[in-house]
Amino acid sequence: MIAYLMRRIWQMIPTLLGVVLLVFFLFNWVGGDPAYVLAGKMASPEDIANIRHQLGIDRPLWEQLWIFIRQIVSGDFGDSWSTHEPVSQIFRTRLGPSMTLLIPLMILETAVAVLIALLVSAFRGSLLDRSLMVASTMVMSISLLVYIIVGQYVFASVLGWFPVKGWSQQLSQNLTTYAVLPVLLGLLVSVAPSLRLYRTFILDEVGQDYVRTARAKGVSEMRILWVHVLRNAGIPIVTNLLMGLPALLTGAFLLERFFAIPGIGREIILAVERSDFPIIKAATVYVAMATLVANLLGDMLYRVLDPRVNLD
Amino acid sequence: MTTTMRSPGLWTLAWRRLCRDRVGIVSLWVVAFYFGVVLMALGGWLAPDWTREVGVNYAPPTWWMGAQESEDAPAAPTTAQANVVADLYGLQDPLASEFAVMQAAYPNEVGLPPEPPRMQTLPLGGDKWGHDVLTKLIKGSQTSLLVGFVAALVATALGTLFGAVAGYFGRWVDDAFNWLYGVFTAIPYLLLVFAIAAVLQQRGVVTIILILGLTGWTGVFRLVRAEYLKHKSREYVLAAGAIGASNMRRMFVHILPNVSHVILVQLSLNVVGFIKSEVILSFLGFGVPVDVVSWGSMLNEAQNELILGKWWQLAAAGLAMAVLVTAFSMLTDALRDALDPKLKQ
Amino acid sequence: MGCVASLAYAATPEKVLHLELSAAETGFDPVATSDLNTAAIEQQLFEALLTYDYLARPVRLIPRLAATMPVVTDQGKTWVFTLKKGAYFCPDPVFKGQLREATAQDVVYTIMRFMDPKNRSPYKFLVDGKIIGLDELGDEARKSGRFNYDASIAGLEVLDRYTLKIRLKTTDYNFSHAMAQPMYGVVAREVIEAYAGDTASHPVGTGPYRLGRWIRSSLIELEKNPNFRHELWDFGATHSGSDPALGSDPKIANSEDARVIAQMKGKTIPQIDRIDIQVIEESQSAWLSFGKGELDMIGLAGQFSPMALTGDRLKPALVQRGIRLDRLIDPSIAYYFINQQDPVLGGMSRERIALRRAIFMAQNDEEMIRVIYKGQAFRNAYPIPDGVEGSDPNYRSVLNYNPREANHLLDQMGYAKGPDGYRRLPDGKPLSVRYTTSLSSQDRELDEMMKKSLDRLSIHFESEKLKFPEIIKAERQCRVQMRLSGWIADYPDGDNFMQLWYGPHIHENNGSCYQDPVWDRLYEKTLTMPASLQRDKIYRQLARLLELNGVTKVSTSHIRNVLSQPWLLGYKAHPILPSVWSYLDIDDTQRPKP
Repeated sequence: MIAYLMRRIWQMIPTLLGVVLLVFFLFNWVGGDPAYVLAGKMASPEDIANIRHQLGIDRPLWEQLWIFIRQIVSGDFGDSWSTHEPVSQIFRTRLGPSMTLLIPLMILETAVAVLIALLVSAFRGSLLDRSLMVASTMVMSISLLVYIIVGQYVFASVLGWFPVKGWSQQLSQNLTTYAVLPVLLGLLVSVAPSLRLYRTFILDEVGQDYVRTARAKGVSEMRILWVHVLRNAGIPIVTNLLMGLPALLTGAFLLERFFAIPGIGREIILAVERSDFPIIKAATVYVAMATLVANLLGDMLYRVLDPRVNLD
Repeated sequence: MTTTMRSPGLWTLAWRRLCRDRVGIVSLWVVAFYFGVVLMALGGWLAPDWTREVGVNYAPPTWWMGAQESEDAPAAPTTAQANVVADLYGLQDPLASEFAVMQAAYPNEVGLPPEPPRMQTLPLGGDKWGHDVLTKLIKGSQTSLLVGFVAALVATALGTLFGAVAGYFGRWVDDAFNWLYGVFTAIPYLLLVFAIAAVLQQRGVVTIILILGLTGWTGVFRLVRAEYLKHKSREYVLAAGAIGASNMRRMFVHILPNVSHVILVQLSLNVVGFIKSEVILSFLGFGVPVDVVSWGSMLNEAQNELILGKWWQLAAAGLAMAVLVTAFSMLTDALRDALDPKLKQ
Repeated sequence: MGCVASLAYAATPEKVLHLELSAAETGFDPVATSDLNTAAIEQQLFEALLTYDYLARPVRLIPRLAATMPVVTDQGKTWVFTLKKGAYFCPDPVFKGQLREATAQDVVYTIMRFMDPKNRSPYKFLVDGKIIGLDELGDEARKSGRFNYDASIAGLEVLDRYTLKIRLKTTDYNFSHAMAQPMYGVVAREVIEAYAGDTASHPVGTGPYRLGRWIRSSLIELEKNPNFRHELWDFGATHSGSDPALGSDPKIANSEDARVIAQMKGKTIPQIDRIDIQVIEESQSAWLSFGKGELDMIGLAGQFSPMALTGDRLKPALVQRGIRLDRLIDPSIAYYFINQQDPVLGGMSRERIALRRAIFMAQNDEEMIRVIYKGQAFRNAYPIPDGVEGSDPNYRSVLNYNPREANHLLDQMGYAKGPDGYRRLPDGKPLSVRYTTSLSSQDRELDEMMKKSLDRLSIHFESEKLKFPEIIKAERQCRVQMRLSGWIADYPDGDNFMQLWYGPHIHENNGSCYQDPVWDRLYEKTLTMPASLQRDKIYRQLARLLELNGVTKVSTSHIRNVLSQPWLLGYKAHPILPSVWSYLDIDDTQRPKP
């Protein structure tokens, strides 16, 4: 186990290096030169040279790359070019709102998806199953952009059930007031794919021998589903959840922008628009690391929970 | 040899199973309808020129009751002004002689050529310029389907190629491709899109296809690689090797038909995903150029129209897309069930 | 004094003003500020020597941190400023509990900071090359890597604790405008040095407000500066003339002023205890929020004006709710320019001039105003907009919309159509116009507009989409072929606009890369002239030359619409001041209870 863990961690290094190189060259090649816009409305070429010098983008590429790698090792990505705010602080302050949005979203999504999945697998092939699956496909076919535009207009403005936008520093207020509508709208597009996936997980288990054995022993159908099947189908569900988390972190930018939530996705778009390279670099490295760690944890969990899986 | 003989049988069986699936057949018809429309549009029989401004600005749908309530002031006609009489403040006009010649040649021309009359209402309404939303919708379907399909083909081809090579050769080749896979999946998708978009510059529809294709191959790769790992040590492949088939032949002539159902389903899933992604790319500013219309560009245009009370473009594009995506997703399900009956419980 | 004020306000319930910003702030060190959103906040946190009168139109400079207007001698080369006594910085741990008064030395330090290369200030240009001895300090710092703030220079002389003499290299009557910019708000050296590296998050100024709670890019809260001196709201109406484009007559304007005066006169500044500013990037969200009363005031973007306005009037439904509309002409221009150094479109031959003028003549400004700006702009062909010194409402363009004439001109110059129906250069080479815009959805509308314009001339349209920083870079490097650019007054003087075409400003902000000795000599003459009829006469020649040579077409000026809730008192839109929040009050009895 330990040897496996060590090997996996060792394998992360080349991947991370690839990420670093790819992002570094892509953004250095084409990512733009913010010096001109930072210099203001009436800057002379000397001013621009001065800014380029201050930012360090007049140095040779390999030197900039070396600085980047040193930054990754030390965890200090310096200051944002456009706001002078330390990059680490940006991520510290934006992580909270992103999580406040995403964790309820994930919990609700999983709960709803698992419940419906269990329900439809109990009645598999029936009209209920088919119509629920068709309905879920329809719901997820509408673009999130449309949901947000219409949802904000109808539920927050016309009906006035929720605030149109906003964020506070109190977690409880965010959870009960500001995050509700964005979470519900997010749920509309995210439940259906999970539901379809979990349904196959559950149906996989239903076909297993132990279910037939249990049934033969006279265990009730409900108990089979809720206890036996769910325990086994839970393994792929949990790992799937875990591995999806890092991608969600940056994926909620539409919700963040429309509902004025100070999360990470919005920050990244802003950074790209402003060619704020320190933030872009840090975001890439942080998210890549989170992805790798989440994948590793997912695999480990699989191994711990399901003795049939042999990772070596 | 026996394996290649068997494959048509698989497809025939699959087709028969699909025909028995009622939802699948309905979906197939819906998708076929869209394709028919797109083909007609491609051939120029439908929606030949969406750029014509046939209606007034924001012409409402003909059948909509609220149309009369519109209180916006009617647009004043644009006037043209002569450009020769202004005071030169003692300066010389470098084009003075040209304007003199022109005045002599066209002395009585004042104003603009008359514009053709515009419709007050349109079947599905008009956009802010007075373009017909129905025409835009048809042209937009063409672009969106094209983008979805070609991008899915690119992504699936890349994923299949990489997956096949990695799975078949194994060892360091497999390591290399796995590394690439790891890198692409670890980079935040949003940043990957921005970076690739920046590299490609804005070159029209091709850019969008490449952005989607280059970022979307990873899912196919994972599955195809796993299939190849499984198949490469099967008897029929070993037998083909024994009679001297080259690696290429074994990979693409012998194994590929046996994993093609996996690829087909992935292709179909990608089409759906990419049609939806095109909307988000448009939102981020990487959409189609101005002389092309797509569902994504329509939805983004319509973004601010809902609160102005001009809901028709949003509704039309949103609905057209939802119907196709639903039908296509269900067709994909039906296809998967038909191709791989083991999965169907 | 601070004590008395805080006691007085503890007794009444807190008044909170709710506002929005359409783009994130960039940190609150005035020297590093570049955008208007941040400047609006800094206007409340810091105080420059001068400011603009709240009600007077055309705008007029008045003292702010200075006690009186500066004494200007030596043909605008020597400026003596005297500071107010008792202007204290807001409390900060750096002051160790002591009251800290702003002095002449602080002003010197504040001005010096702009030349420090480390600060890479976007608003350096307002003092760059102007003050005797200051540029040399900057050059020295660039070499040594350290700016010598202890140096004493002839250009910045402290006469006593409250008096400062500034000596300029050449005559510059606009220097007073520089000293009215929020970026030149006075800072304390010990604060800047104590927070070196993180000055952006520690704004310590003498303004009526100080920074309270701050969630970056999301929420900015300002609270009363307890050390703010006792100051009474005392502005008088001095409205003269009318705004022709708005169709408002002076009587209405004066009655508006009378309302503001009646609501505010004699109150202490500031009345509002807390300002709560949210960053809302999507206009739909901001508008819906205002509609629900979550915001007290909102700038109405042109594209949303049909929701609130019919033509230039507020919709009856909003009038019924007591919502007020403030309209003014933005001191800004939108202008097309074509790169004069471009190998295809540039150059001064008659064919090229004709081509450029034909392109300009194909731009339908009225359609642009109607469809894109929803009527919230008007055709303005003069480089200096209304409300700025030197503007000319009677100027008539020679580049008005006239596609027929434009086509005749091209025909005559030999731009014949090829077999594909599109025009070619006289020598038969292909012709296309590359138009540069950003990735935003508003700019997509501009692309559509330009495509239509070029189609009228049968010229190929080519689109170049770049991120905003890249556009600026390309423009500075003379790589943009054609663009619709905008300029908003930093200060209300014509020079701020005319300098956009000055030859030596190529690679700075002369995006058209226009260099014409005739034009440059004329422009240089205006530099040492005070605002006068003589100067206006030269300005008209400059504007006409830009048109005749096909350099630029000034297209439109915009109308700013601000909506405010009925409970907001004392609001009048100001064309130059980035924010006026300290002059406002709230009548909480009218605010709906949640």
